[in-house]
Amino acid sequence: MSTITMQRLRDELAQAWAVAVKDVRVYYLTPPMIMFGLALPLFLFFSFSVKREIGPEQGMSRLLALTTFFTASSAGVIIIPMERRAGTYDRLLAAPMALATLLIGKTLVGAFFAVAISLVSLLVGLVWLHVDVANPPLLITALVLASLSFSALGLVFASIPSRSVGNIMMPSTLIRWPLLFISGIFIPLSEMSPWALAVAYLSPLTYAQELMNRTVLGESLIAPWLSLTVLLLSGVVFLAAAAWMHRRSRRLGY
Amino acid sequence: MNNAIIVDNLTKYYGDLLAVDHISFEVEQGEIFGFLGPNGAGKTTTQRMLTTLLEPSDGRVLIHGHDIARDAYPAKRRMGLVPEEANVYTELSAWDNLMFTAQLYRVPGSQRAGRAQELLETFGLWEKRHVKAEDFSKGMRRRLSIAMAIIHKPALLFLDEPTPGLDAQSTHAIRDLIRQMNAEGTTIFLTTHQIEEANQLCSRVAIINHGQIAAIDTPERLKAAFRRVQSVELALEPDRAAYREALSALAGVTTVVKMGDKWRLYTADPSSLLPQVVDYARAHKLRLVSLSTQGPSLEDVFLEITGQEIGTVPHRTDDARSRRQRKGGKR
Repeated sequence: MSTITMQRLRDELAQAWAVAVKDVRVYYLTPPMIMFGLALPLFLFFSFSVKREIGPEQGMSRLLALTTFFTASSAGVIIIPMERRAGTYDRLLAAPMALATLLIGKTLVGAFFAVAISLVSLLVGLVWLHVDVANPPLLITALVLASLSFSALGLVFASIPSRSVGNIMMPSTLIRWPLLFISGIFIPLSEMSPWALAVAYLSPLTYAQELMNRTVLGESLIAPWLSLTVLLLSGVVFLAAAAWMHRRSRRLGY
Repeated sequence: MNNAIIVDNLTKYYGDLLAVDHISFEVEQGEIFGFLGPNGAGKTTTQRMLTTLLEPSDGRVLIHGHDIARDAYPAKRRMGLVPEEANVYTELSAWDNLMFTAQLYRVPGSQRAGRAQELLETFGLWEKRHVKAEDFSKGMRRRLSIAMAIIHKPALLFLDEPTPGLDAQSTHAIRDLIRQMNAEGTTIFLTTHQIEEANQLCSRVAIINHGQIAAIDTPERLKAAFRRVQSVELALEPDRAAYREALSALAGVTTVVKMGDKWRLYTADPSSLLPQVVDYARAHKLRLVSLSTQGPSLEDVFLEITGQEIGTVPHRTDDARSRRQRKGGKR
């Protein structure tokens, strides 16, 4: 019995990996992914950074949080409706694997993309802007964990029963954009009013930004262990929500 | 266990609309089972429930003895699905599409390449194995889609409208493949509205209409049960549309259909109609180019059952349709 279970676990992990690798090959270079996953976070960063007196370390900290959040959460929002429209999502749903396996595979796709883009940004900062990173191991851990959590957030939106990227992008934008302004990216937590701070603590992006501040600038208001824990838990909650919404979609026929 | 599929009281509501109405049937292992019905009858909805893509509102489906609502995994491992639209990854080559599917279905690594080569050769795609599927014709994509569905050698294959829109060569190749797979032991569940395809391929057919199973039997038994839709087929020279009224007036004719240069007269009693036709031609100095009696085709049976165009079975009334819509409400 335990042998069967172990074999099944190995199969499911291999299937999640196969889904992730396939999506990387098929979707990373599609125009929506380049636009929403790569160009948009960079535009946003420069829009809110140019002519403001922020140092390279502070700029790098913000850019890492921004790209991690936007890039990771865009993948599912773009890929899943595209797959539904092409009918290829049915192929995945009909395959002998658990729904959780499919969702983990899809989570990995956004996370890979976000980590890769963030590392490129970091490399540029290190080489050209001579940014110092205070805690590299924690930075890598934070990038990976934040990317996984935000990628799972994208799956929650992608689980809305629709075959149109636009229909899913709209609610996801309505939620994601306000988070940028209450999570300490453009307005530091130390400058927020008490009520804004209370809202900021509800946003997982706040904890990602705090981790980037700690790892790059060496200072943060929230303890790293708490931020890591919140990101981990929020990722689990997002995956559970995505699974619940997927089951609902299955009742509706999407 | 001789049944590949057992469907018990399967039901699907979309809001207030009852799409599939408490249907029950069984598919034996090793048969080609045709699932026929007009557009909107509930064919695809039923097939999506059988393949776990859609959750039923009520009822139970057993695939090779496994209740798919409780544990779909063993059932999924044994089934393959070819949907109506060829759902291949157009950005990947034929080879990569097959390799990905083989990974999904956990085909052992040592067997993947050999199995992919065998299928690509069978489907005439070996030379194009490194070409992206976006450059394939519709027929090639369809063949690739079928190859992907059977790479793990499923015991049960669901095919949804496998041939519409394909050229004669592709259609012939796909039908041959279905027969060959069935001969090798694969159970085939064929959803189609192409009656002749079902007639040629299926050992049994079910006809679904308005979400209910209207008939289920072998094609020949269904035809035998509908002897009242026998017909006399004739061709006259000169060929004129104006004969319709006179032919309709012949005793025993229920329906007259013009089919190209021929007329088909539906009747329950062809033997008494034949001399009337000969007399009519003689009286009007027309040449009878051909004259033959026809048993009911599966298409005639289908049209009778679904109440379309030909036949003595009355059309389902609007009352019946609205009753169907009022039945439910919950999903």
